[in-house]
Amino acid sequence: MIQFSSFQEFIEMGGYAFNVWSVYALFTVFLVANLLLPMRRRKQLLRELKRRRIAAEQMQKNTEESARLERAASSLGEST
Amino acid sequence: MWTWFHRLGSPKWFYEISGRWLPWLTAAMLLFLAVGVVWALLFVPQDYQQGLTNRIMYVHVPVASISLAFFPMMAVAGTVSLVWKMKLADMVVKVAAPLGAWFTALALASGSIWGIDTWGTWWVWDGRLTSLLLQFFLLIGMISLRSALEDGDAAAKACALFSIVGSINVVVIKYSVDWWNTLHQPATNFTADPSQPNGPEIWVPLLLMVIAVYLFFIISVILSTRNEILYRERRAQWVEELVSQS
Repeated sequence: MIQFSSFQEFIEMGGYAFNVWSVYALFTVFLVANLLLPMRRRKQLLRELKRRRIAAEQMQKNTEESARLERAASSLGEST
Repeated sequence: MWTWFHRLGSPKWFYEISGRWLPWLTAAMLLFLAVGVVWALLFVPQDYQQGLTNRIMYVHVPVASISLAFFPMMAVAGTVSLVWKMKLADMVVKVAAPLGAWFTALALASGSIWGIDTWGTWWVWDGRLTSLLLQFFLLIGMISLRSALEDGDAAAKACALFSIVGSINVVVIKYSVDWWNTLHQPATNFTADPSQPNGPEIWVPLLLMVIAVYLFFIISVILSTRNEILYRERRAQWVEELVSQS
């Protein structure tokens, strides 16, 4: 059976509104924070790893490109 | 048995299986939590001494009792990581410390707020309170220990040992209410008899809340462990594939 006859009475919690509601508020913060923080961290992590991957691929391309240019330059030097 | 053990130790396997479990665990947790909270706040009869502050119990007791699960869990995972050098076990030890600190902090805070009117004080140096505060500091110590050690293997060893030794405190917390009979009440023996003041109408919603918070504990450990796996295995083929798909 519901222990309160009105919404007002429910909010007042028999004079313990501060105690009861602050504990339930802390509990809510605790639940939400410990779900949202790891989820946000996951997004950041994936973004960061993706960025690094693209950077690494770019670097790979640059090295290949400069190696190719160097080979071209040296073969040019040999022929003259 | 051994193939199972090796598969369990594989971060990739854990990542995949936990990804499949998460939706079900979350749904179950939300269900237990919703029924538990509504029941606790609206339907539980008020206590003849404490009045409606007994609603605090439905947060305090589950959170405080599950905060005691962290050290034993870290000790088991730590032993596995020490003996078999299993990477996944050390990841669990690592992510559990800050989560345990959250649980312990909420247990202390909700207990304090409950104590203001029922005990007339928000803090006493009682056995239970002091040993739980010690657990909070041990967890903070463990987080700092890990961040102070740059070498991953050394950090894994140190934290594994720390969690095994630190588990002694859990025994102290558990029996503190029997050893030092000061202010915190001992464990209640609930009965199935509905006519008793500690009958089912009090403990059934409590049980629901305990299950909800237990599921939450499992979910939060899984979520953080998955992040740790992604980071530590970032050079593995399967993580690279996962990253490029994201």
